[in-house]
Amino acid sequence: MQPCKIGVYVCQCGTNIAKVVDCEDVVAFAATLPHVVLSKTYKYMCSNPGQDMIVQDIQSHGLDRVVVAACSPRMHERTFRNALQVAGLNPYFFEMANIREHCSWVHEDHVAATEKAKALVRGAVFRVARHEALERKTVDMCPEVLVLGGGVSGLTAALDIAEAGYRVRLVERQGALGGNLARIDLTAPYLNAARDLLTERITRVTENERIDVLLHSRLVNLEGFIGNYRATVETRDADNPPRKTEFLVGNVIVATGYQEFDAGRITHYGYGKLPNVVTSFEFEQMLRQGRVQMDDGRLPRFVSIVHCVGSRSQEFHGYCSRVCCMTALKYAHEVRSAIPGCRVSDIYIDMHAFGKGHEDFYRRSSEVKTLFLMYRKGDRPVIRKAQPSDGCDMLIEVNEQLSGETIEIPSDLVVLMVGMEARSDAHEVARLVNISQDKEGWFIESHPKLDPVATTTDGIYIAGTCAAPKDIPDTVAQARASAARILAKVARGKIEVDAVYAEVDEARCSGCRICNDLCPYSAIEFDLEKKVSRVISAVCKACGACGSACPSGAIKARHFTDAQIFAQIEGVLR
Amino acid sequence: MSFEPRIVGFLCNWCSYTGADLAGTSRIHYPANIHIIRVMCSARIDPTFVLWALAEGADGVLVCGCHPGDCHYTDGNYKTMRRFPLLKRLLHAYGVEDERVRLEWVSASEGQRFADVVTDMTERIRPLGPCRIRPGLQADMAER
Repeated sequence: MQPCKIGVYVCQCGTNIAKVVDCEDVVAFAATLPHVVLSKTYKYMCSNPGQDMIVQDIQSHGLDRVVVAACSPRMHERTFRNALQVAGLNPYFFEMANIREHCSWVHEDHVAATEKAKALVRGAVFRVARHEALERKTVDMCPEVLVLGGGVSGLTAALDIAEAGYRVRLVERQGALGGNLARIDLTAPYLNAARDLLTERITRVTENERIDVLLHSRLVNLEGFIGNYRATVETRDADNPPRKTEFLVGNVIVATGYQEFDAGRITHYGYGKLPNVVTSFEFEQMLRQGRVQMDDGRLPRFVSIVHCVGSRSQEFHGYCSRVCCMTALKYAHEVRSAIPGCRVSDIYIDMHAFGKGHEDFYRRSSEVKTLFLMYRKGDRPVIRKAQPSDGCDMLIEVNEQLSGETIEIPSDLVVLMVGMEARSDAHEVARLVNISQDKEGWFIESHPKLDPVATTTDGIYIAGTCAAPKDIPDTVAQARASAARILAKVARGKIEVDAVYAEVDEARCSGCRICNDLCPYSAIEFDLEKKVSRVISAVCKACGACGSACPSGAIKARHFTDAQIFAQIEGVLR
Repeated sequence: MSFEPRIVGFLCNWCSYTGADLAGTSRIHYPANIHIIRVMCSARIDPTFVLWALAEGADGVLVCGCHPGDCHYTDGNYKTMRRFPLLKRLLHAYGVEDERVRLEWVSASEGQRFADVVTDMTERIRPLGPCRIRPGLQADMAER
């Protein structure tokens, strides 16, 4: 090992790290470690000033190794490697200690967390001292894109990419395009028809020769890496035997959408038992058919709308589904234009009118004589059958918050505003494209604020309601953002990928050929003349399986060498 | 003060390390005894890494990879699965208690499961006290 000059940077991540880990203490500790010539802490290392600090220190202090103790390397390893490159240092002379996801966010005891952070920093310092300069390799970027999901999000992304001149494979599980939006009548707050928004898009997609629409289809396999993914799609329709299509794509947009909450799970609303208790989606269907009526064909005189069904509750989903409040207000307008004189009641917890034009829409809805009744979270209204003398079919009992009184609302038709939830098969998609889900099942973005459509897997993007509940404008914005991100990469034609691959030391290779069969990619060939194995670096994917199997220790898994990992083990334990 | 075991966790980048990250983003708490070392695939985890960790003073070693069938590199975790029993036999011969070295499959979406595994492992090792094989193993590893 050569003498080196290591700089250690401890990120506070605002207070995300600093409120649990004593960053100053970690800095003082790092300064005592071998080869460390400089150690600092800063509020946000990933910010521009944070990165500039590293670049300047490399240049003015002659640092040749850098350790950043911050978030997960899956988040910012690339950011800091780029900073090293800017400073003229080989980007592989860098190591991250994960003191946020693996420390401050999961431990409560400040002393134990600080001690652990020190151990992780020591592991990173010991390891980085043994890092070697590696060159990056440049590979071609396949310009074709796979879009999963034919809802408004997938359609929009597909159009942007195809209209920029690249081929798109649009895979849709159902037999028709449109997704959940196709089930909606009018949209809030401007009361445009969802059908108009969709039809234009679907027509443009089906007429675009660069977009291959695969209906009744789903992704069954994805292999490779950014720029070079090999996708297998299975198509199953009623008329033909199942068939598989394989193609190469450079990037993937996951736009698989949501499913609605099953209203039957809240038993006391009587959904499925009381004939005139319907979900918002069933009500949309009535509106689309122009028949707002009860099960026996009578016109309702009283329509009651119950908000937050499955949302904002402890037993079901804790989150707000974002679109239901405005959709409910829209119903007031639609009901009154379908059945003049019909009385509409909105039974809500809080009215969430956060978007552009929403507050105005709320005000206009109040003016059309909608009755607003506020109930408390957890204190759900009770729906029961009315007596003939009540003059209506059902009564809803609400502990109304603003008046402080228990109020009975006459109802002929009750609409349950069911929230959005992650699709029950989302985990299969997550596994196939190698992205994560949060505890509610939504796909996780690379950064919730600064990188909302990328994921931690290069070349895989998420858009729309598969990531969290959102309205149409937000969904479309994400779809177009993911398309733009991909187009920016495709425009370069090439992509730099990690130069991490295995290498055989021919002098130590005994020619036993154990590694030859072990390699899942057949990336190891045997030189019959020299009687040694050799790694074809372009084919190697750097799993390192050969490195740990070689009996003579002749195979070096670059950037994950025995020496580097042993050093890290020593570091975390010393 | 009660004995606090030191545990080294070798986690594959694609499933288990991401699962541990998810435990973090979900703020699922677990004991601070584990120190995670990232490898690209569980198949990279040379059994000597485990021995080395024990020789360096670890009281337990956790090896985590993707669930069988889910390996990012097709079948690396099957290689790990096959290496593991041999390693366990060796450790048994050294007198290392069964609880100290563990192989678990943790997917990228199993943050809770990762936290549960670490909590359980820490609680099982704590009553065992320090791993006693360190001196002997250190001498053997030094010859390597």
